[in-house]
Amino acid sequence: MIAFEGVSALRKPLAVTGITLSLGPGVHSIVGAQRDGGPLLLALLGGAARPRAGRVRVLGGSPTQASVRKQVARLPLDTVLPDALRVGEALAVAAAIRREPARGASDRLSVLALESLETRPLRSLSRAEMRSVAFVEALTSSQVRVLLVEEPLVGIDARAVGRVPQALRARAQEGCTVILSTASLRDAGELADDHVFLRHGSVVGVTRSLETLVAFSQNGARLLVVTRDLASARALVAAVARENDVDGVDLDGISVRVHGRDILALAKAAGRAAASAQIDPVELRVQAPTLDEARAAAGTSVSGTP
Amino acid sequence: MIAPLAYPTLLRMLRTPRLWMSLTAWCALVLAFAFAARSAGSLRGADYVLSRVYGALVVPFAAYVLVGAVLGGRSLRASTEPLASFGAAPARVAGAMVLVTAGACALLCAALGSVVALVAHGAADPPPVRDAIASGYAGALGGGAYAAWLSLGASFGRRGGGRVVWLAMDWLLGSNEGAAALFTPRGHLRNLLGDAPPMDLSERASAAALLALAAVCTLWAARRAE
Repeated sequence: MIAFEGVSALRKPLAVTGITLSLGPGVHSIVGAQRDGGPLLLALLGGAARPRAGRVRVLGGSPTQASVRKQVARLPLDTVLPDALRVGEALAVAAAIRREPARGASDRLSVLALESLETRPLRSLSRAEMRSVAFVEALTSSQVRVLLVEEPLVGIDARAVGRVPQALRARAQEGCTVILSTASLRDAGELADDHVFLRHGSVVGVTRSLETLVAFSQNGARLLVVTRDLASARALVAAVARENDVDGVDLDGISVRVHGRDILALAKAAGRAAASAQIDPVELRVQAPTLDEARAAAGTSVSGTP
Repeated sequence: MIAPLAYPTLLRMLRTPRLWMSLTAWCALVLAFAFAARSAGSLRGADYVLSRVYGALVVPFAAYVLVGAVLGGRSLRASTEPLASFGAAPARVAGAMVLVTAGACALLCAALGSVVALVAHGAADPPPVRDAIASGYAGALGGGAYAAWLSLGASFGRRGGGRVVWLAMDWLLGSNEGAAALFTPRGHLRNLLGDAPPMDLSERASAAALLALAAVCTLWAARRAE
């Protein structure tokens, strides 16, 4: 559905070099800090930037082709909408531009629980509300087949943020290609099926699962156990420290961080420790590696086209 | 396809109170001069007010504030982004914006030119109805050309600051009868309003030149937005 063929591009201060990548339907993340070039890749796919070398293909055509543009929705962090319009009017104009049947604005907005914004002028909305309305337009358009989203869970209205992951997955299941650019491994892990790691404008690794990276991370795996109170946390630290598979343990308020080589063994060890200390953990969470750890692990362990 | 692209620009003009205040001020200024000429019993009152106040100041500045309101303090390219994010080609969005602005400016300047010709009419001026029609026609062409000219100017500079440069260029190059005035709206509008023509051009040629200038500026602005 989308392909980069040896693409190099520059849009100050961002640059990408020698990108070759193809992605089909599904949710994909481009992981890297903003300066690594993720937003520029989205701009290239959205026809808002042009490559200096190589070729970008979207839905079999050029991103600047009129028929392709109508099927692509791009949501940069600083999304702007025609601010003289009301929310309902903007959605109607968008439908007319994309040449799709008009639908009730309230119905569309309900996807992200934003029905109350329907009659509000866009110029009266906060940045987060504005971005959420643009998200609604992209998510509910029947024409859009490629969604390009920069930092999908950042700068979104609080009412909408909880519904975004499900809505993105629903679009992917309908056959859309959803590409997210994010610096957050947690967001990437929560939303995407596979991950492309960028560093300084180049692809340094590709992986299907962030969890697999944990095993390759130089600093090993980390597990976070949240307990109900400080006493339980201390009891858990004492119990977990006796486990053989645990390399280290940190106490941070009511949270306990457990370090080790194997994430599965760590989880079992934490479970045994909780049972022996007779505490009931509130949450048990695998801690994602840092961006640098993940990029290093993805580059050395897993690579290829998702 | 044009209608959904034109609609936001139209609504932007209608829903910007500051624009209406600015336009009212410019209209009030030229009408004040027209009433003053009438009450002073000036023999060529309409001629004087149309060429010295209406054509020289009000048409360019009305176009300037209209273009500024439509762009909202951004460059032409940046102001296409909201509709481009819905899948429209930036060049088409820019083209529609310039056309709507030029149309609105032409209508406003035509109506204002006709009213000024009637109000300031003096004994030595041409018959009032004929003068009002001719002034309206000149105002429409001049207003449209100025809006396109300044929109093209707004495609330069990060926040569209180029329109100030283009306004100054029009002032500098278009205020005489030299060859440079052929390339500015001012030179031709002065000719249509009864002032000295640039390079002895006929009024009909100046009207055609204003139309051509508007078309070229619109196309160039659209191209720069892509």
